Amino acid sequence: MSATATNTPRLERAYARLGVLLIAPTILVFSLVIVYPLLAAIYLSVFSIYTPTLQGNFVGADNYVKLLTGHEFWNSLGVTLVWTFGTLTLQIVFGVGMALLLHQNIWFRSLARSLVLFPYFLSTVVAVLVWRWLFNDLYGAMNHGLMQLGILDMPLDWLGSMPNAMIGVILVGAWKYFPFVVIAVLARLQTIPEHLYEAARIDGAGPVARFWDVTMPQLRNVLTVIILLRAIWDFKEFDLIYLLTGGGPVTSTQTLSLLVYQEAFGLNRMGQAAAYSVGMMLVMLVFMVLYIRRTGKES
Amino acid sequence: MQSPLRTLILNLVTWTLVLLIAFPLLWMIITSVKPQTELFRIPPTWFPETITFEHYWRLLSETPFLTYFRNSVVLASTTTLFVVCLGTLGAYSLVRFRYRGRETLAMLVLFTYLLPSVVLIIPLYLMMVAIGLSNTLVSLILAHTTFALPYALWLLRSFMEGIPEDLESAALVDGASRMGAFRDIILPQLLPGIISTALFTFILSWNEYLYALVLVNSDSVAPLTTGVMSMLISTFNIEWSLLMAASVMMSLPLIIVFAFLQSYLTSGFGAGGVKG
Repeated sequence: MSATATNTPRLERAYARLGVLLIAPTILVFSLVIVYPLLAAIYLSVFSIYTPTLQGNFVGADNYVKLLTGHEFWNSLGVTLVWTFGTLTLQIVFGVGMALLLHQNIWFRSLARSLVLFPYFLSTVVAVLVWRWLFNDLYGAMNHGLMQLGILDMPLDWLGSMPNAMIGVILVGAWKYFPFVVIAVLARLQTIPEHLYEAARIDGAGPVARFWDVTMPQLRNVLTVIILLRAIWDFKEFDLIYLLTGGGPVTSTQTLSLLVYQEAFGLNRMGQAAAYSVGMMLVMLVFMVLYIRRTGKES
Repeated sequence: MQSPLRTLILNLVTWTLVLLIAFPLLWMIITSVKPQTELFRIPPTWFPETITFEHYWRLLSETPFLTYFRNSVVLASTTTLFVVCLGTLGAYSLVRFRYRGRETLAMLVLFTYLLPSVVLIIPLYLMMVAIGLSNTLVSLILAHTTFALPYALWLLRSFMEGIPEDLESAALVDGASRMGAFRDIILPQLLPGIISTALFTFILSWNEYLYALVLVNSDSVAPLTTGVMSMLISTFNIEWSLLMAASVMMSLPLIIVFAFLQSYLTSGFGAGGVKG
């Protein structure tokens, strides 16, 4: 702003034109690969399209009637909410806990941080392969480790039966994504002024009281943002669940993302899948608006 | 005042947890160097009795792994280059210029940054089939733009906001053009942000699975994610040590980034919309 404050209106207009010119390629690509497909998804949702031939005809609101009256969408919405709530809770609890520990002066702190950070950046394919090997019912390290520790008597079928499959998926999700919480919280912890803790200590507050009265209020803002962002990302997660269980057993871990994929490319009903995806987006819109309003307010 | 006992307990607890978290990764490496015969021992051997690199050798010589690897390198580098170039110009425009619709545009970017891929995948699939691009790397590069561009734009926008305007103003007063000032003043200061964004974008694209699953179905253009998964499905008897070797190899770029450029990853976090 200060760069243009002393300029003439003519220069001002030239700058505005340059600004538009610079953003133009981005807008073009955006319209082509995001805005158009988004509108097309809504358009497709009122057709009935057979995926292999891509032939279809107009069916009006039929797909949405099926969405509202059939049980598939609601079942998947329920599964998605259980998965999101479960994995998000673990991510936050472990994330904040680990951040507090790593904030302390421990041995080889930077190595510890790297090791904790790593799963987040790891490819989901790699994470899933490793965990499927760990969960293997015959030779898996998970069952044998837990048996050697005396926690289990018998090997468990981790991904093939309920509720184990949901627990397994939630656990792997928590393992993969909790480092996000660790990094964000750790960064915030480092900015809390030390004198707040000093003051609390002088007032006679113990470690637990200091956590609730000093640390938590300071973390509240960053935690709200993390929870919103992670809720959105967990809600739409596809790779991890699809690769771990494929939505099974039957449909007990089939989240909305998996339902859309299955409908479009498994059952070849593209129009119905588009309708499901629009429904899913509408549910997510609540969180999205909350997050966007929050971020907009800050900047 | 820290008592030695408290320090010891704190370290023990923390390091136990850290090793527990890192265990799947250690297990991946351990499994990848175990001979096939040792793999199916009950209970499993926690440390390999013999170390072998036969699985790595088989992976490189007998499977299309190197083709997948090459495809992933081309895919992730092209996506990154494309997105970072567009994003840097776009972020400069969004932060330092005034024109109508600028705020709306920024909100749109944030909105698309949160959009689920499954909403876009059906129309994108139809689009790629219609223009004859299905089953090519170009289709994947375009598809990866859908999540990488909003992400890069948002990240670069935050980095750009952190650059003070004084220097740019001074250059303009001295008679530099906007683009001249951009090249001489902004770009050098933005460089750490650009590196950070490029690393993030590269990793996102390297790890992406869903678009590759839908848009590409032949070995010659498959990236690592779908390629390695197809090795799991295509064999009747799952060869876990081969898959673990593939997993280690697939994580190599990440390990390199972690070893040398980790600070760029953590600085990207502060900018990526989590500044509470």
